[in-house]
Amino acid sequence: MIKGRYDDENLKWIPLLIGLVLLIPFALKGMTFSYKYYIYILNTIGIYIILTVGLDLLSGYAGLISLGHAAFMAIGAYTSAILVDQAGLPFMFSLILSPLIAGCFGFIIGFPALRVSGMYLGLTTMGFGFIIRRLIIALREWTQGSAGLVVSPPNIFGFTIKGDWANYFLVWTLAVLVIIGARRIVKSKIGRAFMAIRDSEQAAEASGINLAKYKMFSFFISGSLAGLSGVLMAHTNHFISTDHFDSMLSIYFIIMVLVGGAGTVYGAVLGTLFIVLLDNLFVPELETLLHTMFSIESGEMESFIFGLVMFLFIIFQPTGLYGMWLKMRIYWKLFPFNPKQRFT
Amino acid sequence: MNSLITDLAQEIFSGIALGSIYALIALGFILIFKATEVVNFAQGELMMVGAYVNFFIIQGIMGDLHVPTGWMFLMGLVGSILFAIVFGWFLDLVINRPLRDESVFSIIMATISMAIMLRALVSMIAGSESLVPQSPFGGAYFNLGGVIISVLDLTIIIGAIVLVSAFYYFFNKTRWGIAMQATSEDPIAAQLMGVPVKRVYALVWIFAAIVAAISGVLLSPRASLIDTNMGFLGLKAFPAAVLGGFGSIPGAIVGGIILGVIETVSMGTLSFHFHWVKEINDIIVWIVLIAVLMIRPTGILGTEEIKKV
Repeated sequence: MIKGRYDDENLKWIPLLIGLVLLIPFALKGMTFSYKYYIYILNTIGIYIILTVGLDLLSGYAGLISLGHAAFMAIGAYTSAILVDQAGLPFMFSLILSPLIAGCFGFIIGFPALRVSGMYLGLTTMGFGFIIRRLIIALREWTQGSAGLVVSPPNIFGFTIKGDWANYFLVWTLAVLVIIGARRIVKSKIGRAFMAIRDSEQAAEASGINLAKYKMFSFFISGSLAGLSGVLMAHTNHFISTDHFDSMLSIYFIIMVLVGGAGTVYGAVLGTLFIVLLDNLFVPELETLLHTMFSIESGEMESFIFGLVMFLFIIFQPTGLYGMWLKMRIYWKLFPFNPKQRFT
Repeated sequence: MNSLITDLAQEIFSGIALGSIYALIALGFILIFKATEVVNFAQGELMMVGAYVNFFIIQGIMGDLHVPTGWMFLMGLVGSILFAIVFGWFLDLVINRPLRDESVFSIIMATISMAIMLRALVSMIAGSESLVPQSPFGGAYFNLGGVIISVLDLTIIIGAIVLVSAFYYFFNKTRWGIAMQATSEDPIAAQLMGVPVKRVYALVWIFAAIVAAISGVLLSPRASLIDTNMGFLGLKAFPAAVLGGFGSIPGAIVGGIILGVIETVSMGTLSFHFHWVKEINDIIVWIVLIAVLMIRPTGILGTEEIKKV
């Protein structure tokens, strides 16, 4: 019997994910008084997840390095801010149009990707990041230069979405849609083409995969997801400036993907959760602790910890958090009969 | 008209000096890339560490002993080179050896995370405010037909040319250099031919760290400021290396000098005469990089590499 398209796939995770996302804010509200702060952190996580899932499709699946992904985010954010506040378009329209524009920029940066690879592509995208940043400052008629831009809150069908609580549902609806969409892409022909390109370009081309088409497509989709996260960031933070999108942020996004596990959608989600929670909950505690113990200047603690976490993961756990989880799951499945050497 | 030519000559001269710094940093990348095929994004940070070590040695000696100024700077240079030897060996141990068989992406990210850590560590240890170093020549200069040539810039240029030619000679003529070339070609075959591959790798990283330390020592009096953002200058050396041809040692100095001259001239005369150049002069190196990669990815002196399946 020929299998149907989705027969061998377990789709139970979709309602589970939606239920979890709906449950968390209410649970937090019931548990703590400072729930608004946690909701704010969760919003940041949701926005970043949209980007890191896109980055994972590009770097983890298609194997194309991007060291300038914050630039796409900046393009989305500024385009949406200009479209909504200065051109007067409705937010819903901008929510669709701005990611597409960011995706077109991804398309443009995809052209060099056809010629160069590896480190050279990393340098090209890094240069692209610097150029976009400079472009935003140069177009100061619309973007207010480096002073930053105040953005209005999102308005959907006449309802203005204000405050972290309402933003949560907007951000996470889109984040869940992106996660589900990315899982579908990965399991489809396109996802398999990406993985073939990552593993060997020559072999992929010999098997009849159109390299140019799929590389361009991966840049387009990754760029537009980054643009979408930029739109959300602009409209939920109400203020954007070029400092929000500097080159270190692009590096942090890659750290999130690699720590979670490159080449898995859940890996990107887990990595984003891990890094942002580490940044917001653990690092301030550690900084105050260090300050009382040694009275050293600990302002740079955050980036040091990020660098260290990244470094340790690359050396000791290259498959990331998701790989760790998979290993653990297999370990418990086989429990008393574990072949020792497989789990070292 | 005469003043325009003088200005231009002045800018080209200081561009060559700046380009020599780029060339030295690029030389570090290229050495590592030639022997190990690893791209070291932490080269700029190595330079920063070298500058800081040099500064603290000089400050320490100045506080305690009263030695003549010339000796003081020489001791600073020797001290930072000694530190670089230990540090380069350490980097080989923690980055290069565990990641031999990993993908390019992991190695790039490992060096980037090392760069992040170094920047954070230095600012935690040395404080985040910038330090003001002294120049060993105290601002001495001579005037060549209206063009002011400072002794420091001249030293930088001569130092860069000497180091690049020394490494070119080393790579192509000595036994160890040829061993390095063999290692980069095929580590396993080199090992079988009796090349001590591990020692070669360690030596390359040590050389790169030494070059970085020397460039840091030379740059810090020129920039007259030492702070943790010095490492970002290392990123600008990538376009220089790509322009000269990644993997070609003379390419480092060619690319570095061309890029340095482009940058200073666009910041000076061009920005003065054309208004729009002012907008792009801090990203001009990246525009050059993308143009080079689109037109001739192998750079000026590079050779085409054929990828085998």
